Amino acid sequence: MSALWIALIVLILAAVGFVVGRGRAMQSADGNIRNLHSLPVYYGSHVAMLTSVPALLLLALWLFAQPLAINRMIAPMITSVEAGDSGTLGLVLSDVRRVADGLDLAVSQGVMTDDAARDIRTEFTDVRERLSQVGVALGSDVSRETLAAAQRYRTLSTSGSFLMVVAVIGVALVGAVFALARTNRDFRARNVVEAGIKVVLIAAACIAILTTVGIVLSLIFNTVKFFGLYPASQFFFGLTWSPSFGGGSELGILPLLWGTFYISIIALAVAVPIGLFAAIYLSEYATPKVRAIAKPLLEVLAGIPTIVYGLFALLTVGPLLVNVFGEGGILGVTWMGGGTAVMTAGLVMGIMLIPFVSSLSDDIINAVPQSMRDGSLGLGATRSETVRQVVLPAALPGIVGAILLAASRAIGETMIVVLGAGAAARLSLNPFEAMTTVTAKIVSQLTGDADFSSPEALVAFSLGMTLFVITLGLNVFALWIVRKYREQYE
Amino acid sequence: MTDASADRSTDGHSRAKTSLLQLDERTKKRNAAEARFQAYGIAALAVGMFFLIALLTAIVSNGTRAFTQTFVMMDVTLDAQKLDPDGTGDAEVIAKTTTFGYGGIIDAALEQTLVARGITTEIAVGDLDQMLSSGAAAQIRRAVLDDTSLVGQTVTFEVLASSRVDGYLKGRVTRESLARDRNLSPEHLDVVDALQEAGLVERRFNWAFITGSDASESRPEQAGIGVSMIGSFFMMLVVLVLSLPIGVATSIYLEEFAPQNRFTDFIEVNISNLAAVPSIVFGILGLAIFIQVAHLPQSAPLVGGLVLTLMTLPTIIISTRASLKSVPPSIRDAALGVGASKMQSIFHHVLPLAMPGILTGTILGLAQALGETAPLLLIGMVGFIASNYPDGIAEGFLSPNSAMPAQIYEWAKRADPAYYERAWGGIIILLLFLMTMNIIAILLRRRFERRW
Amino acid sequence: MNDMRLIERAVDMNDIKISARNVQVYYGDNHAIKDVDVDIADKTVTAFIGPSGCGKSTFLRTLNRMNDTIASCRVEGKILIDQEDIYDPRVDPVQLRAKVGMVFQKPNPFPKSIYDNVAYGPKIHGLARSKADLDEIVERALRRGAIWDEVKDRLHSPGTGLSGGQQQRLCIARAVATEPEVLLMDEPCSALDPIATAQVEELIDELRQSYSVVIVTHSMQQAARVSQKTAFFHLGNMVEYDETGKIFTNPEDPRTESYISGRIG
Repeated sequence: MSALWIALIVLILAAVGFVVGRGRAMQSADGNIRNLHSLPVYYGSHVAMLTSVPALLLLALWLFAQPLAINRMIAPMITSVEAGDSGTLGLVLSDVRRVADGLDLAVSQGVMTDDAARDIRTEFTDVRERLSQVGVALGSDVSRETLAAAQRYRTLSTSGSFLMVVAVIGVALVGAVFALARTNRDFRARNVVEAGIKVVLIAAACIAILTTVGIVLSLIFNTVKFFGLYPASQFFFGLTWSPSFGGGSELGILPLLWGTFYISIIALAVAVPIGLFAAIYLSEYATPKVRAIAKPLLEVLAGIPTIVYGLFALLTVGPLLVNVFGEGGILGVTWMGGGTAVMTAGLVMGIMLIPFVSSLSDDIINAVPQSMRDGSLGLGATRSETVRQVVLPAALPGIVGAILLAASRAIGETMIVVLGAGAAARLSLNPFEAMTTVTAKIVSQLTGDADFSSPEALVAFSLGMTLFVITLGLNVFALWIVRKYREQYE
Repeated sequence: MTDASADRSTDGHSRAKTSLLQLDERTKKRNAAEARFQAYGIAALAVGMFFLIALLTAIVSNGTRAFTQTFVMMDVTLDAQKLDPDGTGDAEVIAKTTTFGYGGIIDAALEQTLVARGITTEIAVGDLDQMLSSGAAAQIRRAVLDDTSLVGQTVTFEVLASSRVDGYLKGRVTRESLARDRNLSPEHLDVVDALQEAGLVERRFNWAFITGSDASESRPEQAGIGVSMIGSFFMMLVVLVLSLPIGVATSIYLEEFAPQNRFTDFIEVNISNLAAVPSIVFGILGLAIFIQVAHLPQSAPLVGGLVLTLMTLPTIIISTRASLKSVPPSIRDAALGVGASKMQSIFHHVLPLAMPGILTGTILGLAQALGETAPLLLIGMVGFIASNYPDGIAEGFLSPNSAMPAQIYEWAKRADPAYYERAWGGIIILLLFLMTMNIIAILLRRRFERRW
Repeated sequence: MNDMRLIERAVDMNDIKISARNVQVYYGDNHAIKDVDVDIADKTVTAFIGPSGCGKSTFLRTLNRMNDTIASCRVEGKILIDQEDIYDPRVDPVQLRAKVGMVFQKPNPFPKSIYDNVAYGPKIHGLARSKADLDEIVERALRRGAIWDEVKDRLHSPGTGLSGGQQQRLCIARAVATEPEVLLMDEPCSALDPIATAQVEELIDELRQSYSVVIVTHSMQQAARVSQKTAFFHLGNMVEYDETGKIFTNPEDPRTESYISGRIG
C-alpha cells in the first residue's frame, strides 16, 4: 500500500471524524447550538485535527526514516566494500535498491512469482537479463552479495511498510477516539483548534530557520568531507586552480576569488555612478511625469532574468568588445582575444545592478527629511550644492549600505559569469582576459557526471561555503548600516 | 547677549549692495556647476535607458528569427519496391525499413524535383539531402506508418530544411562562411536559390519552436521550447502550492501572533538573510538535501520547484507582511469588539482585505522564480535533451525535464550558432510570460488598491 | 498687554525694505493668498499672525521664493525688495535667498559639525577669503546667534547633538552667517520650550538692529512681545496691517478683533 493511499485513508477517517464529532457535540447540546461553548464546526475540526495531524506526521517521519534504517541494516551484508569507504558503499547500496525495485517490478508484471523473487540465486539465474525483460537496466551483472542484500531489502521494506500502515492508521484511530471522548457541550473546542492552527503557523515560520540550517549543514558537512581529502591551507592559499578528475588536482581558491572581485569591481564601477546619479536626478530634479515614466523603465532592467543578461554578455557585448578592443578592431589594439572576459561580464553585471543601486539609493535619498533641503536652499544654496553637501552626506551611510548589498549581489551572481566571463582561472590584471569566479566554478564542478565523493566535486561545497560566508557578512553589515541610518531619521 | 551687543559696532553689511537683477560672476559659475550636475543626472538616466533599449533590441532582433523556419516542398515517390517489396501492406513489414532506409527515397525525390524544374547542379545525388534536416527521413517514415496506403504513391511532403539552409535564408550563413563547412557546400546554396525561385523553398512561421521538444546538437532546426515550458509549468505549480500557504502562514504568525522575543527575532533575521543569499547556494542546498539525502529524482521539476519555493519564500513573506500591515488596526479592533477570537478576526477580516496585496506579491515571486536559472543547473535540469512530453501529471513532476531558462542556457552552450538564435527566441517567450505576470500583478494592484 | 511698551516701540516707516503689491498665490487650483499688499520696513520686526492655514507661512515663503521648490505653486503680483522685483525672470533665486535668509519652524541643523553648519552659507557664497576669515565669520555669526558661549568649546561636534533651543539658535546663526538683509522666520519657536523661546525672542530683538525681520507666529503674545508691526491674515486675505500696539489694542476689522480676543482661530 503506497503512502498516498494511507494518507488518503487517514484523511477519510478525519472527514468521518469531523461529521461524527460535530454530531456528538450537537447531541450533547440537545440540538441547540446556544448550549455549546464553540460553533459545531470547531468540534468537528477538533476531531479531524487530532485524527489526521499526528497520523500524517508519523507517516512523513516513517517515510523518511525507513530507508535510512533499512540501509543501516543491510550495510553489514556488503562485505566486499571496506568499512569507511562511504562513497563506494553508497554506490553498492543504490545498486541494491535498483535490483530490489526491479524484482518488485518483475513480480508486479507477472514475470516472476513472489516466491521466485525471494529465492532466485545468481548461480542459477541471470538476474540482469531477467530484470531487463521488465525494463530495468542494470550497469553490471548482479553479484551474489548484492542480490542477497536486495532480497533482504525487499523483505525488510515489506514488513516495514506493513508496520507503517498499522501504526499510522492506529494513531489516527486513537486520535479520533480520544477527541470524540473529549467532545461535549462544555468542551472548549475553538480554543483547542485555534491553538492547533497557531502551531501550524509557527511551524511554517520555522521553515525559514530550517532552510538556513539546511544550507549551513549541507555546506559544512561536505566542506568537512572535502577538507578530509584536500588540505584546507592549500585550498585557501593556493594560487592555482586546475582540477582534473583523474587526480592530482590543484584547487586553490585565490584565482577564483580574484576573478570574482575583479568582475564585481567593474560591475560596481558601472552601476554605482549611473545608478546613483539616476537616483539623484529622479528624486531631486525630475518632474513627477518624468519620474513616473523613467523609474518603472529603469526597474524593468531589474525584472529581467539573469540568463538574459548572460546571453546578452555572451552573444552581444562580448563580440562588440572584441570589435573594439580585439584584433582588427576599431582601436587597432589587440587587448582582447575572445568575447568572454572580465570586462564583458563586469559591464553586463553593472547594467543589471543599475536599477538595484538606483532604487535603493532613491529610497534612501527620499528618506532625508525635506527640512534639510529647505534649510540649505533657504541659505541660497543651489540644488546641486544641496545634494552634494547636505543630502548626500546625510544619506551616505544608507548609500554605502546599498552599495554593499549590490556588491553582495555581484559576488553571488552566476549566470552572467558562467556565460560571459570565461572558464580560465587566472590571477591577472588585464580586464580583457577571460577569468572565472567562485560561482561559475561551483556550477562547473557540480554539473556533469562527477562522482560526488571526489575532492573535485566536493570543492564546490567549500566554494559555496566561502561564497555564503562572504555574502552573508556583506548583507548583515549592509542591513545593519541601513537600519541604523533609518533610525536616525525616524 | 553682551557678545552680540559688543559686536554691533562692526555690524552692517560687509558685502557690497548688489542688484538682484544682475548675476554676479560667482553665481554664474555656480549655475554652470548646477547645470553640469543636472546633466550628469540626465546622462546617467539616458545611459540606463540606452542599456535597456540595447538589451531589448538585441533580444528582438536576434530572437524573432527563431520563430520562422525554412521548409522544402518536394514530391516524394514512396517506392513500393523498397518499402514493401512483397506488397503485403502490413504495417509491421513496412516498419522494418528504418529511417536510414528512407535516405535513398529522399535522394531520388530531390533529384526528381531538380530535374522537373530544370535545375542543374554538380552536386552528387547522394549529397543533395544535406540541404534537408536529418529529421526529414523520420518525418516521411512516420507519415508512411500512419497511413500505409501511401506506399507506392507520390506524395508532396513539406520537410524542414537543414539549419545551414535556414541560416542562409535568414542571412546568418553566407557562401564564404560555408567554404570550410562539412555540412553544406556553397553549391548547395545555388540549388536553394533556384528552388526558392521555383517556390519550393519557403520560410514561414514555425509553431514547432513554441510547442516542440528539444533536439540533439546537430539538428537545431528541429528544436523547440515546448517541453521545457511544461517543465517550468510544473515547477511553478509546486512553487505556488507550497510557497503561498507557507508564506501566508509565516507572515500571519510574525505579523499577528509572534511575541517580541529572541525566537521571533531569529526568524526575522533568517528571512531577511535568505532573501539575499545567492541563488546558486539554494542550488547547492537542493543538490545536497533533496537529491543526495532525500533521494528525490534528479532533474525532476518537483525538486526544481522545491528549491525555487525556498528561494521565493522570503520575497513572498516580505510582501505578504507588508499587505497585512497595511490593513488598519481598526478592522481588527472592530472584529474583536463583536466577540470574535483573534484567529477569527484575522481569517475572516484581515486576510481577505490583504489578499490582493498577497496575490500581487506571490505573482511577482513566481515571476522571479520562473526566470531563475542558477539553482536549476545544480539539480541537473540541463545537460540532457528534453525530448519528450511527460506522460501524465505524476510524470510531469517526477520525470526529468528542463525548464525554460535552463533550456535557453543549454542552447547558449551549444556550438552551432543556429542554437543562439533559438536561445534568443526562447528569451522572447520567457519575457512574454514574465511580462504577462507583471501586468497581471499591476492590474491586480490597481484594481484593489485601497487607501485607508 | 503693556500699552506703554508698545507705543515706545513705534518706528518710522520711511525705510521700506519689501513692498508687495497685488500678490496672489495658487497651489494648483487652490487660491491660497488673495490680493495681499504690504510694505515691510527695514530694521523692524514684522509679525504675521492668523489662524492655521490662513496663508501667513505661504506668504512668508514667497518673499524668498522658497515656493519655487513646490511644483504646483504659482505666484502673481509684484514683490519688490529694494525696489527690485524678485519675480523678475532675470533674478536668480539663489542670489535672492542669499539676501533673504530663512529660519524654519523645526530646527534643521545639517548632519555636520556646528562649525560646518555655520560655515556652509559663507562657503557656498564665497564670503571668506581665507580659513582665518571663515573662522571669524563663524564666530561672529555664532555670537550674533547668542550661542557662542555654549558651543565655543565643541565647534566640531555634530550640530544635531544640541538641545532644541540651541539647535534653533544655531540655525539662526547659520542664516545670519551669509549676511542677509532680510531674515524670514517661520514659527521659529513652535518646537521649543518656554525658556528656549525666551532666549530666541531676545535674540530676535537684537537682530532687529541689523536686519529687517519677518516672523510668522502662532502666538499672539509672541507677536506682541517681539514685533513693531503686525499683519493679520485670515483665509488667504491680509485683513489688517498696522503698528503692533494698534492691532492688539484697537483693531479696526471685526475679524482681527475676534481673533485677538480668542473667538476665532
